[in-house]
Amino acid sequence: MDIELSRIDYSLSGITQPHTMELLPAAGPRLAQKVVIGDQDGVLQSFSMKKGEQQMVFKTLPGPAISRMCLGGAAGTVKDKIFISKKGEVHGFTKKGKLFLSFDTCLAESIKSMHINGSTLLLCGNTVYNQFRDCEDTGSFLSSDGITDVISLPGEKTRSLVAVLACADGVLRVLDGAELESLNRQSRASSRVSATAPSSATSSALRHEVRIPGAPTALHLANNTGGEAGQSVLFGTDDGRVGVVSVTRNSPPVWRWLAGTERAGASVSTLHCHDLTGDGELDLIVGRDDGSLEVFAVEAMADAAAAEDAAHRRFTYTCPESVSTARGGVLGTQGYDEVVVSTYTGLVFGLTTERVDGVAALAHDAQSVSMTVGQDTRRRLQALRAELDGLEEKVSAERDRYLAAAEVGDNVLSVVPYLNINHKMSLIREEAAYLLTLEAATAIDNVLVQSDVPVDILDVDRNSAVVSFSDCDAEEGNKALVTFRCQLNTTRLDLRLRTVEGQAGLLRVYVTPLVAPKCAALRVLRVAPLSLHARAHQADAMADADRPFSVLTLRGAFSLAEMHAWLTACLPDLSDKPPSEATTLYFQSTLIGTVLVCSYGRGEAEFKSDNVSTICILKECLSKLATGRSTHLDISCAVNPDSGAHALRLMFPLLREQAALHRDLALLDALRDLDKDALAAKFLAILDNEADIRDRHKRYPAYLDRLCGMLTDLYIDHFKFRGLNVKARVPQLLDSVYKAPLDTLLDTLLQHFREPPPDLRA
Amino acid sequence: MAVPVFTLQLNHKLLPGRVTIGKYDGSHSCLTAATTADKVLIHSPHRRLGTTSQMSGAATWSQVNKEISLLSVNRNVSALCAGRLHPDLEQDILVVGTPSSVLAYNVENNKDLFYKEVADGANIIVVGHLSGYENPLALVGGNCSIQGFDYKGNDPYWTVSGDNVRSLALLDYDLDGENELIVGSDDFDLRVFKEDVMVGETSETEVATILAPLRGSKMAYALANGTVGVYNKLHRVWRVKSKNRAVSVLSYDIDGDGVEELVTGWSNGKVDARNSRTGEVVFKDNFNNSVAGLADGDYRLEGRSQLICCSVDGEVRGYDSSRLGSLMEGNAHQDAVRDLLQKKQALLMELRNYESNTRSSSGAAQTNMNAGMIPAKTSLQTTVSINMGNKSKGPHVELCLTTNNETIIRAVLVFAEGIFAGETHVVHPRDEELTSSLKVALFPPRDVPLDIHIKALVGLPRTEQFHVFELTRHLPRFSMYNLISASAPLPEELPQNFVSFFISERIQRVVLWINQNFLLSSELEPESGGGSLSLSFSALRDGSLLSISMHPAGRMAIATSNMTLAGDLVQSLASFLNLSNLQVTAEFPDELAHLGEWLEKVANLQEVRIQLGADLAHRAGLIRNLIVRAEDARLLPDLTSMREWHTQLLEVNDDLINSYNIRCSNHNELLEILKQINLTIQKAARLRVGQNKADVVNLSRSALQSNNLHSLLKIVRTGEA
Repeated sequence: MDIELSRIDYSLSGITQPHTMELLPAAGPRLAQKVVIGDQDGVLQSFSMKKGEQQMVFKTLPGPAISRMCLGGAAGTVKDKIFISKKGEVHGFTKKGKLFLSFDTCLAESIKSMHINGSTLLLCGNTVYNQFRDCEDTGSFLSSDGITDVISLPGEKTRSLVAVLACADGVLRVLDGAELESLNRQSRASSRVSATAPSSATSSALRHEVRIPGAPTALHLANNTGGEAGQSVLFGTDDGRVGVVSVTRNSPPVWRWLAGTERAGASVSTLHCHDLTGDGELDLIVGRDDGSLEVFAVEAMADAAAAEDAAHRRFTYTCPESVSTARGGVLGTQGYDEVVVSTYTGLVFGLTTERVDGVAALAHDAQSVSMTVGQDTRRRLQALRAELDGLEEKVSAERDRYLAAAEVGDNVLSVVPYLNINHKMSLIREEAAYLLTLEAATAIDNVLVQSDVPVDILDVDRNSAVVSFSDCDAEEGNKALVTFRCQLNTTRLDLRLRTVEGQAGLLRVYVTPLVAPKCAALRVLRVAPLSLHARAHQADAMADADRPFSVLTLRGAFSLAEMHAWLTACLPDLSDKPPSEATTLYFQSTLIGTVLVCSYGRGEAEFKSDNVSTICILKECLSKLATGRSTHLDISCAVNPDSGAHALRLMFPLLREQAALHRDLALLDALRDLDKDALAAKFLAILDNEADIRDRHKRYPAYLDRLCGMLTDLYIDHFKFRGLNVKARVPQLLDSVYKAPLDTLLDTLLQHFREPPPDLRA
Repeated sequence: MAVPVFTLQLNHKLLPGRVTIGKYDGSHSCLTAATTADKVLIHSPHRRLGTTSQMSGAATWSQVNKEISLLSVNRNVSALCAGRLHPDLEQDILVVGTPSSVLAYNVENNKDLFYKEVADGANIIVVGHLSGYENPLALVGGNCSIQGFDYKGNDPYWTVSGDNVRSLALLDYDLDGENELIVGSDDFDLRVFKEDVMVGETSETEVATILAPLRGSKMAYALANGTVGVYNKLHRVWRVKSKNRAVSVLSYDIDGDGVEELVTGWSNGKVDARNSRTGEVVFKDNFNNSVAGLADGDYRLEGRSQLICCSVDGEVRGYDSSRLGSLMEGNAHQDAVRDLLQKKQALLMELRNYESNTRSSSGAAQTNMNAGMIPAKTSLQTTVSINMGNKSKGPHVELCLTTNNETIIRAVLVFAEGIFAGETHVVHPRDEELTSSLKVALFPPRDVPLDIHIKALVGLPRTEQFHVFELTRHLPRFSMYNLISASAPLPEELPQNFVSFFISERIQRVVLWINQNFLLSSELEPESGGGSLSLSFSALRDGSLLSISMHPAGRMAIATSNMTLAGDLVQSLASFLNLSNLQVTAEFPDELAHLGEWLEKVANLQEVRIQLGADLAHRAGLIRNLIVRAEDARLLPDLTSMREWHTQLLEVNDDLINSYNIRCSNHNELLEILKQINLTIQKAARLRVGQNKADVVNLSRSALQSNNLHSLLKIVRTGEA
């Protein structure tokens, strides 16, 4: 059953991160709750809503940015203690706003994620996990890739400390807290001199590694409690999906997907469970960083072993800003459940089951309700307007002072504080394109994108900004100059970028928000040479055993860290931290599915790929980097003659589909004018699928051109390693794509790859 | 989001922009649209059943849908309009335009009113009363010309326009109770004609694709670059720009407050209504496909009209004000709260900016390179000058930006409409070439006054945050002409092409006009001695020479080989000096020679065309003959001769296709030449002002009709017959 929720706006704070808002538990079911929210200015505030007016409970002074918030309490009591993390400290507040804990962890990294379980405190920096009991350090763990979230199974149910880390390399790492504790004790006892335990020792605490497609970004206990046994954890991924994993002490964890997404490129930022309709079943609330908020009805949410059954989407809402945190509860009106949402810019709004629009009120024939609602909002509007008037006066006074300052002083500097721009560039695997998202705290005036690499910058349909492509002066070395002039009240802009492998460089984005004094913030993004490769798990990449690999081997006086740094420059999504020992990494091309295996250690590195072009690009790139550092490299390259044909075969289904689409499209207009009765079934089918054909073409414009570009590269590289230059033959090759019969197209193309062209053989 | 009062599906693909509504029986509205299959679709939901006597004739009732009838045009329908063309009938007449003809059709009687070949094509048609004409006219805008037909098919109205006509509107521009004609054409201009005199003219930044009358002297317009807005007379009230293109614009009172809103149908399927005074959106809805057209008519027989929207895939939705009111209220409050919160956020940010500014200015704060920091006294100077260019860059107008200290200019965004491919031009130098000054080259393609908005990103070297300096500069109308200094040697030969005229004004006033309209390195000082004025300019676009001279007695001469430029100068000068009438002598021997050639060519082409027509008829006869014979042979069955006939048939068919292709290219050539002739007449008219201008058009027309070249040349030269 679908539900209908309507939006009510409540309040505004500073910029917020994910997991920085909570609803305090109320005394009874369906009673109004209080919101606690912490922002980037370091302000923690709590408020309730009374008759549409905001009632402040407490508000702290600004300080370092609040990175996380968690509710806690001693085991067995109501969880109404508020814990926040800022930089390297953790603070605890009572629900009245009284500071009862101020704990400096003395950690080297600032806290990125936090979880509280009774008296146990779990903190994660970029890659280090730490656990504390009663503010006493009881162990740490070094993850091999960035940690995005941490959670522990409820201690009262499992009777032990089991922590789950969400890591950027697509792995959920399950840690045994007790094991860590004992290790910690041992190391302390043995060497009081060196306090840090070597990471290899702690690896025995790593109970399981759960590999999932896509990197997990958010964790939450299933049903808010972890299920009956307290061992089910929900996770959201960077491609917008939600799954559940069951962690038992001894058997390997099982997991399954719960809910998918309809929009590519959005990562899950928040998860919560709440019974919105009062039917006794908990609904799954999912918020994502593209502004979408969805409510699902999920059967047997906590049971990861249950049959794969797609969740039923009950409600979808899209707000124009990233969702930071979403919580189910009661806030606006007693007795009405709602989803309380905080967004990146700090807006707090509710999606309530209470009907607020005039039509509904009329339909219920409750004129009085509509009247009071109207009066409430009117009163709120008045209060807001008055507040704004005051602010405006203050601002105009300050503005005058600012302008006056510009006139007077000679050595006076005019400074504008750092502008917070939330930017994310993520590879959408299905489209082999990047999605660049830019978000500012206030409305954006314009965005300028400059690139020194050839990229296609595509507009996204849901943008309302006016796009303008400027001419690029070759002398200035620009390959793309695009401006986006945003319409009123746009705080967020999405764009799609299509890159070409082998072309690397920088993308500069200048974002100008609509705030006086006007400033533009520059963000520099890197386009890697192998930009269309994504991290893959070993099992997936190596599933097809008989890939004809070409091998590139490098030897030289380089350290492991150096090689890692070079690879970071060549491939996307690698963490900055070099691995501690020789490693093997797996990548897969999102465009055609060929794989790249990088095994490297000190002084030696081996790269295997079934795509010659990939090897070619890597070779060029690494030798350039090594020359830059004047490191001598011994390069040897073994090309498998079959790999060209193999890559072509991998690419072919896509190529065939696009070539067919291209042909159908060309036929469509001509067919429409003909008499339908006289047409062959083949053509009638094309006519019937018209909408679909046009839609597919619209969704991936110029896809065939892109594939042809790849085909050309592959063709040239394929023969390059044999010392042949086939550039002159490219037109014939492409001609076949457009003209040769589809049924024999593969054979025709393979023929091109098989024989060296006779005129070049000599 | 609004709830439609009705929806229906036509199941035909419609052409965007070609939708109209007519009461063909005098009382019931029928939606009429052009389909992609070269047909005109008439949807009559209130058709009385049983009146099948209409079955004969051009229109056929659809077998599938009893409410739809189709009229085959068999040519691309380029314009469609229904209106009361017949002064005695209480019924609307449908006027259909194609690239070569106009058809007026009485739908009720299924009868053609008239069918006319129009050589200039019909890009747009409006039907209505025009001041000075007793009968309603169907005004047809084609290539550079506008023709007005009455119900008999006579064309009492004819005038020329600066370029291909894209949009027309009938509007009571001067509020005298009579309609004037507003014309939008490919040269980005909007012109207002009262009878055949042009009473107003303004230049837009793109082609005006749609014009629609609003109440009073207000008019809505839409441009090809996605702008829609409202003009009151020729003053722009407001405009908005979207990345989509407007397909249709209509005035309709959607919120029931008694004032019409501007309803726009967009190419992405969006429909919105905006307050005609402020541009505020009061209503919106979305279609899955591009909107094909908007109309207002009473489709529910409830005595008042609905807003009817059609999409290109044939979906129709109707809206009225009845369901809008209650829907808007609840949301409006929520929207207001949201807006206020957003405003608060912006104000808080600004306040924070100032506060941190005072904090760091007091000296205690550490210098953070990430924060945008510049000396408070930084200012940005701009100069606009003419740069004669070098090998890689031609002569251009140069905009030079300089800061007054060590800060650098990271990038410059120049926003101006109509001079770049997009709306902005960006200059972003390499990192190592960043300095405190930056040059932007501008190449205005047309002689219009321009406002250019500049955003410069200024900061200290290697910062991540830049201050944005915003400023606006004005480029005078004739900025692409460089004054040749008096000392430079003038070309010897006397200019052959010039206009000369008398004005009773002092030289000082003309000097003032030159100072205002040309880009000069320093202002000209009017000579006090009462000497004559003589200035020479070189055009940056093609290097040609322009000289302006004035004798103290008031005789002025403008010498240039570019007739359009001469016209622009005369018009600009006349409006500066408030001249109501001006007659000139124009000597443009080259243009006149062309005119002669063209007229001759037209005669030839028309002859060829008649020949080809006869040829075509002959071949068609042959084919008919051959088919009969082949059929006979087949029935006999004499296969040998059947094959023979079919071989011959194939040959004749090939010939037919060939001659059709010749006819086509012949036709295109004719169109091009006719356009040139129209243009020349228009240029000649623009050399004059006021009544003299209208005279040129009218006299030229009669000279053309009588094919009197001699008289035509004289008209162009002297402005008199």
